[in-house]
This record gives sequence, structure tokens and C-alpha cells, in this order.
Amino acid sequence: MSDLMARMGELCASGTPGDSLVALGLGSCIGLVLLDRRKGVAGLAHIVLPAADGHNKDLNPLKFADKAVPELLRQVVALGGRKPMLEAIVVGGASMFAGAGSTLEVGVRNAAAVKAALAAERIRIHAEDTGGTKGRTVRVDPITGVVTVRKAGSKDEQLYPAVSAISPKSRVLQEVA
Amino acid sequence: MSAQYNEVQLDALRELANIGAGTASTALSEMLGRSIDLAVPDARVLPMADAVDQLGAPELEITGIMLGVEGELPATVLMLLTPENAEKICVMLGLEPHSDLAPSALGEIGNVVGTSYLNALAGMTGLEIEPTPPATVTDFLGAIVESVLAVRAAASDRTLLLDSSLVIEGEDCSIVFLLVPDHGGAEELLERIGVA
Repeated sequence: MSDLMARMGELCASGTPGDSLVALGLGSCIGLVLLDRRKGVAGLAHIVLPAADGHNKDLNPLKFADKAVPELLRQVVALGGRKPMLEAIVVGGASMFAGAGSTLEVGVRNAAAVKAALAAERIRIHAEDTGGTKGRTVRVDPITGVVTVRKAGSKDEQLYPAVSAISPKSRVLQEVA
Repeated sequence: MSAQYNEVQLDALRELANIGAGTASTALSEMLGRSIDLAVPDARVLPMADAVDQLGAPELEITGIMLGVEGELPATVLMLLTPENAEKICVMLGLEPHSDLAPSALGEIGNVVGTSYLNALAGMTGLEIEPTPPATVTDFLGAIVESVLAVRAAASDRTLLLDSSLVIEGEDCSIVFLLVPDHGGAEELLERIGVA
């Protein structure tokens, strides 16, 4: 039983009971979760920037959305996940310093790039908690498929599967800045 | 290329940080009417993921005051202090701890301290630099630091951190002062002081 950490530009995947996949303190970065709940496998990528295009080829490719999504998919499938059954959950992409220029747009661009990369792989987003100005920690239990999000000064809240009593059909939580 | 420096260069950067922080501590001392101690500054080159961990637990709640730096040394100045210490500083300035004015008062502290540091750097190196207005947030340490680093991640997997601690005497209160140059910014600094 262990916490597998996805730090900046890292990803992890597991199908082992007792494991948690964790990305601590996401700001403008994205924590992307891919789950096959029936198989009990999950992966988590900590994505820093939208696209590798035009950047130095020696850089860690996994920090870019367009490279991290296919690699995360590969790792989850390697653990027994079935691509058509995969569910995506997208967390992060905040603007921590709202109004302070260039850092402002990175979070929004990251979220857009991750969604585009998922669409290219035909993977559907089942829940989302992106944007706003608060940092987030995301935890995933690969066996149950439960995804929780914690913001600074708050407690863990279950993002997926949806627990809302008001609107059980609404699986998308979107925070508007 | 990507953020590799030898010991002579890191020593030179530490010395620059020391002089910058010395000037900054004088400015802070004048604003607060207290003596300020300066911890030995450090210059470190780290993988970005390690840089976050080195500064503290990613889920630690911290107050960050950020200034952008434009001109010949594009960089970010980030001052980090615990929310408790942020309150102490507000009290020293004569404000109510949870006053609506607290963030802007802290921003102003950051502005004066950061600008003093940058002016000292500019004076030593002849670089033309201009700070942008401060932004103050309280959030997870990891979220604040990674958001500052993320905008540089397109150029390198590693980052240079120039850090100093300003300690307010008799108050058990300190501010971590970080200068994070953009890619190429540190090279420019080193060139100006002749250790490129």
C-alpha cells in the first residue's frame, strides 16, 4: 500500500489494491486521470504545458499534454485497462496569480490542450474540476475508481463518481473563474 | 545550455543574491521599524519537480507575493511566508490581521522589498530591469511554485533558484525571498559580472 506521486512532468499508473495515485498542489498544471473502473486500473499524469511542438527535443516530453496523454494511455492499457472503457477526469489548470500576465493563460491553455489530446484518442471526460484561482490536490484509488480533490483550506471532496444528490446526472463540475 | 553552472558561477550568483537581499532587508527594516537578519543565500540548479519539494511540503499553505521582472533580466521574484507570519507583518504595519487591506499591504511590502533587491542587482550589473505590480495569494506551496516554474518549463527541465531568508528579529518571523530567472537570464547576469 503506497502513495504513488506524480510530480511536475511525471506520470504513474497502478492496479494494485491499496495504492493511491497522487498529484499534490496542482496550480496551472493539470492532473489527468484515466480509469478503467471494472478492471480496477488507473493512471495519473501531472501535465505542465500544452504542446511539445517547437520546443527543445531534449526536454522531458511527459510534461507536455500532447505527449503525456498517449503515454498515460499506453501505461494504463499495459496494466489491463481497455481503451474503449477508459474514463477521463481532468483537474487543475488554475490561474494562481489572476491578473498577473503570462502565468494567467497557462492553466486555461493546459486544460484546452488536454481535452484536445483526449478527443484525438476518443476518450470521454466524465468529470472535471478546472480553472478558477485555487490550487488543487488530486487523489485516485485505482481499485474503486474514486477520485478526490482538495483545495487549500478545504477538505477532500469526491469528484468522481459524482455524489451530488441534487443532480445525479450531472457529472461535470466546472468552476468558473 | 539548459541551466548548467560551475561552482565559480554559482558562488558569483550567491554573492549577487547576498547583496540584493542585503539591500532588500534594509528596505524591509525601514518599513517595519525592526532589525532584519539575513540568512546565507543559496543558488541552486534543480529539476523543477525537486525545486517544489525543496521549498517545502507541496500541500503546506503559504502566502506568496509575486513580482514579474521585465527587461534585460526577465525573471520572477517570489516571496513566501506562512499565513501566520503574514498576519504578524500586517500587525507590525498597524493593520487588523484579517483586514481587507492585508493582501495589498503585503503586496506593497513585496513591491518595496523586491524592487530594492532588483535595484541592487541592476546597479551591480548595469542591466535594465523593471518590476511588474505585485500579486498576493495564499494557497498550497506546490501550486504557487509550480505555476511560477511552469511558464519556464518550455525552455528547460531544470531551474535556477536564488534564495535568501529575511528574518525579523525578535518576532520569530521570516520571509523566503526567491529570484527565479527565465531561461538565459542567469547567463546574462554572469556575463555582466565577468564569470560567464
